[in-house]
Amino acid sequence: MFLTFALITLLGALSLAFQKNLVVAGLCMVLTFFGVAGLFLLLANPVAAALQVIVYSGAIVVLVLFVIMLLSAHEEEEALKAHAIQRWGSAAAALALAGGAVKVVLSSSFLRTPPSPGIPPPMDLGALGNALFKNHLAAFEIVGLLLLATMVGAVVLVKRDL
Amino acid sequence: MSNLLQGSLQGYVLVALLLFAIGFFIVLSRRSVLVQFMGVELMLNAANVALLAFARARGGDVQGTVFYLFIIAVAACEAAVGLALVVGLFRHRTTTDTDRADALKL
Repeated sequence: MFLTFALITLLGALSLAFQKNLVVAGLCMVLTFFGVAGLFLLLANPVAAALQVIVYSGAIVVLVLFVIMLLSAHEEEEALKAHAIQRWGSAAAALALAGGAVKVVLSSSFLRTPPSPGIPPPMDLGALGNALFKNHLAAFEIVGLLLLATMVGAVVLVKRDL
Repeated sequence: MSNLLQGSLQGYVLVALLLFAIGFFIVLSRRSVLVQFMGVELMLNAANVALLAFARARGGDVQGTVFYLFIIAVAACEAAVGLALVVGLFRHRTTTDTDRADALKL
C-alpha cells in the first residue's frame, strides 16, 4: 500500500513537471495531493487525510483551475529566448538535492530505528480538538485573523480600481 | 530494503525529500507563474509528509497534527494571495510568463 501511494505521489509530481497543458498540470497536482492523503491514511492519521482532501485537492486546486481558466492561460507561452543553461542547471541542482537527500536518509541510523517501539493508536479528532483549544487557543484565533486579512488583501489586489 | 518499501519512517522521509526535489525542479525550470506556484505547493506538501511521519514515529504525537492544521491554514492564505498576485500581473502585463514580467529588472 505504501508503495502504491508513494508512486502515485511521485509520478503525479513528475508528470506535473513535464506537462505543457496547464489544466492537465492542475489535474496532475490533484493526483499528487490524493497520493499524499493516502500516505497520511497509512500513517494512521485520518484527520490529516481528510483535511488534505478538503483543503488541498478541494479548495486550493479549484482556486488554481479557476485562475487558469479565467486568464485562459491553458498553454504555456512561447519562450522569449531559450534558457538551456537554466533548464539543465535546475535539473542538475534538483538531482543533486535529491541524490544527497537519498544518500543521507539511507545512511542515517536514527531513521532506521524509530525511537518508539510498538504501534501508537490512530489519531482521533477528540484528542486533536482538546489539544487545539486547550493549548493553542491564541494561535487558533490569530489564524482566524490571518484568514480575514488574506481575504481583504486578495480582494484589494484583484480589484481594478479601489 | 523491504522495510523501506513497506513504509518505515525512512520510506516516508524519502518520499517527502523526493517530492520536495521535484517541486524545487518545477519552480526553477518552468516559466509560467501558475506552474511555479504548483511547485511551491508540492514543496509545502513534502514538508507536511515529513512532519506527520515524524509525529507518527514519536508515538502518534497529537502536536504534529495541530501543527499541520496551522500549516494548512497558512497555505490556504498563501494560495489566495499568490493567485491574486497572478491575476494582478495578468491585468498589468497580459502575461503569466516570468520572463515577460521584468519591469524591476535592471
